[in-house]
Amino acid sequence: MIEVAGLSKRFGPVTAVDDLSFTVRPGRVTGFLGPNGAGKTTTMRIILGLNAADTGTATVAGRRYDGLIRPLREVGSLLDATALHAGRTGWAHLLSIAQSNGIARQRVTEVLRLTGLESVARRRVGGFSLGMKQRLGIAAALLGDPPVLMFDEPVNGLDPEGIHWIRGFFRELAADGRTVLVSSHLMSEMAQTADHLVIIGRGRLIADVPTEELIESSARRDVLVRSPRAAELTELIAQQGGTVTPQDDGALVVTGLDAAAIGDLAAGHGIAVHALVPRQASLEDAYLDLTGESTDYRGGPQ
Amino acid sequence: MSAPSLGVRALDLLASEWTKFRSVRSTYWSLLVAVITPVAVSAVVAFAFASARNQGPPPDPLLPEVISLEYAVIAVCVLGVLAFTAEYSTGLIRVTFSAAPRRRAVLAAKAAVLAAATLAVGEVVAFATFGLVQAVLAGHHDSVSLGHPGVLGAVLSAGLLLCVCALLGLALGAIIRHTAGGIAATIAVILIPGILILLPSPWNGRIGRFTLLEAARQVSALHPAADLFSAGWSLLVLLAWPAAGLAAAAVVITRRDA
Repeated sequence: MIEVAGLSKRFGPVTAVDDLSFTVRPGRVTGFLGPNGAGKTTTMRIILGLNAADTGTATVAGRRYDGLIRPLREVGSLLDATALHAGRTGWAHLLSIAQSNGIARQRVTEVLRLTGLESVARRRVGGFSLGMKQRLGIAAALLGDPPVLMFDEPVNGLDPEGIHWIRGFFRELAADGRTVLVSSHLMSEMAQTADHLVIIGRGRLIADVPTEELIESSARRDVLVRSPRAAELTELIAQQGGTVTPQDDGALVVTGLDAAAIGDLAAGHGIAVHALVPRQASLEDAYLDLTGESTDYRGGPQ
Repeated sequence: MSAPSLGVRALDLLASEWTKFRSVRSTYWSLLVAVITPVAVSAVVAFAFASARNQGPPPDPLLPEVISLEYAVIAVCVLGVLAFTAEYSTGLIRVTFSAAPRRRAVLAAKAAVLAAATLAVGEVVAFATFGLVQAVLAGHHDSVSLGHPGVLGAVLSAGLLLCVCALLGLALGAIIRHTAGGIAATIAVILIPGILILLPSPWNGRIGRFTLLEAARQVSALHPAADLFSAGWSLLVLLAWPAAGLAAAAVVITRRDA
């Protein structure tokens, strides 16, 4: 279990993390979601004792990270898969990490097998693809067989087969009863991987919800209708049990009736319809709605 | 699982740092340069000394050796600086510090591994250059043997130079965290105080005796200069440089975000 309480961190004038509190529970994959610059990486670094928080606390299994004696046996993490010495072999990289926590060589061989890297372990990592580096980073996180795991953007650079593998892998880790925190800036990715979502923007907590719940709330469907006789049509739709929300530009947004029913209704009363567009909000839209206010860098209109 | 003792954890970190040290090529290149350069240079320096023999008073027969060793300083400085900056520049330092949150223990383990390796290499180079230099000087009837009183201690002390410079590099690398800056700073700290020797007497000696290279020459000399510290005090000055650097590194390393 990871507990973050009242965490704040400023870098000069920039507030990276702003009074952030959440709990990551065991037995499920928790997605840590937010736009780039939202404070995900900073939060993870604070949890790992790499950055000092200005206020608040972050604990793993109830203890501060820097109080852990052999931390890799408690928490495995992958922050940056490219953080490697290019001239070192994958084997030597993992061995040096294992030795620092008194982990046997045999375990190095095991995690290489688990991540499918046995055949390249004796090659210098400078020649590894980004996907191979991600696997190596995951191997390092697994060395101590820890009950808590954190991965920062682990999907970056993986090919489709790798992405499929990593999703199944996270699920297995969670099914073992481990605490798994996975960050991403992609809602679509997290929707398929995470059981629970912690969404942040500009360092603040935006949502802490089960993925299912967010999907349900975002699965609203409506129909956009334009008609020269909008007022009459609004009344007819209301009589049929539909709900109409008039838009500023004269269009109607209808819920409760589908496009076919609205079209039939209009035709039956001889009302012309200029547009009849079924719309479906995606999970991505829900995410953008949530984080829209908190995006640091935004593309301008064309 | 009972908590492992402090000693076991220290050995874990030493094993880890030793693996890192021996698993990159820059280690071998740096040490190779640190061995070859002074050995190659020593013969030339010894001939120059021998041919300058008839001008002025006889120079210290051990001086060519320590001058040759100074040619290895840059290589071991680079090796020392890289111990931390290679990790800072790649982000690997975060992997290191998340595996070992006690950062001063990491500093100590890196220092111990580097010190052991550069001390071993430094002594090998010191004795090799001593042998070469004396072989050249023997042809000019100026040589001394290891059995000569004070020679063995002086040669052993000369071998310290590489270890001292490497540790200073390690400390400045940990403080500056950038490879180029760390190397520049280390070489500057070692070489620039040499300018003090140009001060008018007696200030050249009074201040110059605190410099790293003058201290190294004093401890490695058969006849230490009279206007500088004694060999014993000079040894303390020599060791104080990396000690001060490591102390400063120990202070800043825990205070900054990794």
